[in-house]
Amino acid sequence: MSGSIKLEMTDGQTTMPRFAWLSFLIALAAPISAAEFSQLRIVPPNISLSKTGDSQRFLVLAKTADGQEEDVTSKCRITASAPEAIAIDSASGVLAGKRPGRSEIRAQLASLQGATQVKVGEGASEVLVRFSPDVISVFTTKGCNSSGCHGSPAGQNGFKLSLFGYDVAADHEMVVRKHDGRRVNLDDPEKSLILRKPLFDIPHGGGRLMTRESEEYRTLLQWLREGAKLESNGARMTRLEMYPAEQVLTGNGAKMRFVVIGRLSDGTTRDMTHEVRYSSSADRVAAIAPDGMATAMGSGLTTVLARGMGSVAASQIGVIQEKAGANFPAFPPNNFIDELVYAKQKRLNVPPTGLTTDNDFIRRVYLDTVGLAPTGKEVREFVASTRPDKRALLIDSLLKRPEYASFWTVKFEDWFRNNQLNSQGRSMGKFKEWVSERLAGDRPYDQMVRDLVTSEGDTFQEPATNFWHPATDFMLKKFDVKKATPTVSRLFLGIRMECAECHNHPLENFTQDDFYGLSAFFARLQVKHGPAEYRRTWYLAEDGEVEHPVTKKPVAAKFLGGETPQFGPDEDRRVALANWITSPKNPYFARATVNRIWHEYFQAGLVEPFDDFRSTNPASNKELLDRLAAFFVDSGFHLTALHRLILNSRTYQLSSRSAGPSANPELERLLFARYEVRKLPAEVLLDSISQVTGVAHPFSNYPAGTRAMDLYVPDAPDYFLVAFGLPRRDIICERSKTPTLSQALHMINGDTVRKKVDAPDNVLGAWIKEGWSDDRIVDAIYLDSYARSASSSEQTAVKEFIESEMAAGRSRRAALGGVLWTVLNSKEFQVNH
Amino acid sequence: MHRRDFIRMGSLALGGLNLHTLLAGEKERSERACIVLFQNGGASQLDTFDPKPDAPSDIKGSFGSVPTSVPGIHFSGLLPRTAKSLNRFAVIRSMHSDEAIHERARQYIFSGTKPRNDLLQPSYGAVISKERGPQNGLPPFVVIPEKDLSADAGFLGPSYDPFVAGDPNTKTFSVKDLTLPSGVTLDEAIARKGLLAKLDHSFKEAEQSPLLESMDEFYQKAYDLIASPAARKAFDIGSESDKLRDAYGRTGVGQGCLLARRLIESGVRLATVFHGGYDTHVDHEKHAKPLMTDFDQAFPALLEDLDQRGMLANTLVIVIGDFGRTPKINFSGGRDHWPRSSAVALAGAGVAGGVVVGKTDKQAGEATDRPVTIEDFAATVYKILGINVDKEYRANGRPVRIVKDGVPVKEVLA
Repeated sequence: MSGSIKLEMTDGQTTMPRFAWLSFLIALAAPISAAEFSQLRIVPPNISLSKTGDSQRFLVLAKTADGQEEDVTSKCRITASAPEAIAIDSASGVLAGKRPGRSEIRAQLASLQGATQVKVGEGASEVLVRFSPDVISVFTTKGCNSSGCHGSPAGQNGFKLSLFGYDVAADHEMVVRKHDGRRVNLDDPEKSLILRKPLFDIPHGGGRLMTRESEEYRTLLQWLREGAKLESNGARMTRLEMYPAEQVLTGNGAKMRFVVIGRLSDGTTRDMTHEVRYSSSADRVAAIAPDGMATAMGSGLTTVLARGMGSVAASQIGVIQEKAGANFPAFPPNNFIDELVYAKQKRLNVPPTGLTTDNDFIRRVYLDTVGLAPTGKEVREFVASTRPDKRALLIDSLLKRPEYASFWTVKFEDWFRNNQLNSQGRSMGKFKEWVSERLAGDRPYDQMVRDLVTSEGDTFQEPATNFWHPATDFMLKKFDVKKATPTVSRLFLGIRMECAECHNHPLENFTQDDFYGLSAFFARLQVKHGPAEYRRTWYLAEDGEVEHPVTKKPVAAKFLGGETPQFGPDEDRRVALANWITSPKNPYFARATVNRIWHEYFQAGLVEPFDDFRSTNPASNKELLDRLAAFFVDSGFHLTALHRLILNSRTYQLSSRSAGPSANPELERLLFARYEVRKLPAEVLLDSISQVTGVAHPFSNYPAGTRAMDLYVPDAPDYFLVAFGLPRRDIICERSKTPTLSQALHMINGDTVRKKVDAPDNVLGAWIKEGWSDDRIVDAIYLDSYARSASSSEQTAVKEFIESEMAAGRSRRAALGGVLWTVLNSKEFQVNH
Repeated sequence: MHRRDFIRMGSLALGGLNLHTLLAGEKERSERACIVLFQNGGASQLDTFDPKPDAPSDIKGSFGSVPTSVPGIHFSGLLPRTAKSLNRFAVIRSMHSDEAIHERARQYIFSGTKPRNDLLQPSYGAVISKERGPQNGLPPFVVIPEKDLSADAGFLGPSYDPFVAGDPNTKTFSVKDLTLPSGVTLDEAIARKGLLAKLDHSFKEAEQSPLLESMDEFYQKAYDLIASPAARKAFDIGSESDKLRDAYGRTGVGQGCLLARRLIESGVRLATVFHGGYDTHVDHEKHAKPLMTDFDQAFPALLEDLDQRGMLANTLVIVIGDFGRTPKINFSGGRDHWPRSSAVALAGAGVAGGVVVGKTDKQAGEATDRPVTIEDFAATVYKILGINVDKEYRANGRPVRIVKDGVPVKEVLA
């Protein structure tokens, strides 16, 4: 039966299978230097076999000098303290129960030792095939219950199974009773449809999945012979674990072994290594076979998933071609970010590039912190300064500027989805002000979140209530808790709960109950029109519950993965939720927040996508994420502390240019080996064009000189902003960062650039009036636009352009306008690098 | 076009349905284009395709009704010309939905999917852009005159967003940003382009970033479009005869439809004309009359023009709006949003002419017979255009289909 492996047993001692002695000899032949490894551990821990004959695959892992772990199972001498209870095959890495009892398992490698406890239970040795887990296992490993087949929302051909077997009772009902029970034939089990289809005795869309000689066939047949029962006291899987959690393989073709253990509700464990469905997020990096053996295919990072019985476990594999050598660049760290980033880069042999020049740095840090380009004067002063701490001083001064609050307010408005669509309300500006005040005062973020989650009242007088707006259908004066839940969950926990509204999350251990349990905190929140036209008021009703869509019963409010708090009759449940979210002990809040901020700076979160934290989506650098989260909590949730830490890191200050041709640009991006070039957001680009040309952009209903990032745009936003990606915000979706045809056309032919370049009283007009030479004007354009001077070849190209323009009969002013126009249309101007 | 006619002739000669015809049919479906005439704000069904002459006056309004070319069917008195052309198109009187907010309703209609919190489904034009690609160097998806939030590419990404044409009913119509600004000569533009290429080149070489390459591609596409005689020709509504321009009507919707026809003729896959102003909460009849009059001139003119050019068989024309309007006129003389029943029209490729599907109650308030959902409508449109709605795209890390659970309305299919 699945889960057990036959070992030859004689006289209470194991006889190693024939081939194993060969590997033993080979292992002896390779000299083991104790200095290579430190620490030995045996995984999985806490093995508890349910009965005699059950077995569990295991690994012995040794820590190497560079902090990784290597599988040394076949190199070790492994013994049991009670060999009458446990038999060990160290070459294959399997142990089996011989008799009920306990034993310590010890592994020895040179002078290193590791140990773990194993228990063998008293379960009956007469093995019955159970629907769960045995038959469900077959459905999982054969792919029957995957999303492409019978596990899809509609099933296939009327046969629907729960996705990866999360609903055992429903699956049993479908197999045995549905459609008049035509799938099973209890009088003549071999004629059952449930066998004949995967055998391909009759046409089957899924093809031939097993033969009569296979273990799967024997399992299903025996289950049918025993009456096709649903054993209701079959132990349920509570957790799946995969070992090792992380591994780096060197060289294509390198192999490694995974071990998967299931923890069951009766306290026992089950070897799931051959009973889960494996997948690799990037097959071109590593491929994984059904037996848990992974093979390196090409450089990169991949997440390996093991799915079974409705649970899922994950591990991360990195593949490199050779380990980092002596010529791996040094990287003097500015803070712990650099230490941890560098350690991972070295492990994966992805060398970081060099530091930015002062010119590149000042432009970049201005754009990333205050959404403005530095003026030529500011550039000159910064570059000329000889202070060794000038970068740190610049960062401090930028974080104190009012534009810091303006610029980052727009980001928070994107995240909180401040908009006026669908409502015809008019309090968008109030909410913008509310956020801006808090950022300007560097108010602790946890307090801000508590204020949002517990907000109530009139949207004008309590601006925080605008937070609920995207979850509202104002026509029906209804607040939809089912829309508030994913919003709160994504923003403050970094978790995408939307899937779980309708079915258990396919990629995570969150269930529909979790979704509704979270929704229940908002059950009593209501909205009404008034006190005047276009005003809305949020209030708490006296009663009201969230109804579970399947059971139709009211759902109790429940923290994710936590308890169900009790409430007094008039208590605002949201207060408890807000406190739980913002508690320093909450495992999600700090991580989700630092990850978002990190993503803004690096265009890649430590978890990607940045609001999709799952156990099946590990961080690219877990240590760094944990440390950043702890730092943020310790700082009292002060955002400027986080900004300061990140901006001062060497990692942030790396150049955008690789030292040489890039071996693996994707890995470089994931490991922050260079700064990622990105387009300027719409508001920043428009404000920069205005600043460089000296011509403010007119916005209707706003005083002259208003910057785009200070607008809020209830009705008809400026064409430029829309074309360059101003987000609609009524739905959860990121600001678009991709270039488009409309953008190119608008820059080339559109009003925005043209009017500002041609305006007689723009910077060109002023400089010409003051008698500046061509060279001086071009230098000023360069410094204001690119924060640097023109190279000699650029100077030549520009000179030639001016000359030929004038030779073609155009005025000096028009020629210089051409230079300005070209600089604004250049890639360098439109991106941050 | 001649080739298709020949194939059709050939199959007729061979007698009946055969491979030839089937192949020709398949090929045709994939070459079908679409014009969407969107009644921005939501037209009143009582004042277009579903009048109720026997209802009380505060419901039926004062526009009366006229017979159509189909016996027993009447349209609003505001649409006499349209009524005469009913043999060319089909009407569904029993469309219904529950989205009463403009942005949501439009999002629903253009994408065939109820608006979601976390995922934006693409509109017809974006899907066709993705699946069919551009033709003749023209953008495949165009909106006239302005972009609307609802008609965009959603999760397919902004490279499938529509191209905005601008308002062709202006004296000096030129497509937004497509032509060089006045005062800029061609060689000035070329000179600047040359300098731009030099400056960009050294920056791109140094940075080695795929983003920069992508931006470059779009700049190149833009320049190609600016320089393309085909593009200029396609948008050059001024080259249409005054007679034809008058026939459509010198109105926003009239010239918009004419431009749409030109664009489709030149290879654009889908053109949406937004005819604005139907959101008449106050003084409905005063505002609706000119709108309907303009529509009544433009729509039949469009069908006639398409037919004359042999384009009607390959162009699907849709008339639809946000929702219907309230049967009972409110105390401001207006009609408010009413998604529970609305009337739409389909004409051209794949559509059976002279067909009226569904019925509403005495007040045109509820669909009583053969209710049709927005999903059904979208499924119908995609079926006619030959797009597979069950194809799986990926968005947000999960498989997504463009339209779920919609059943094509077979009564309108030819």
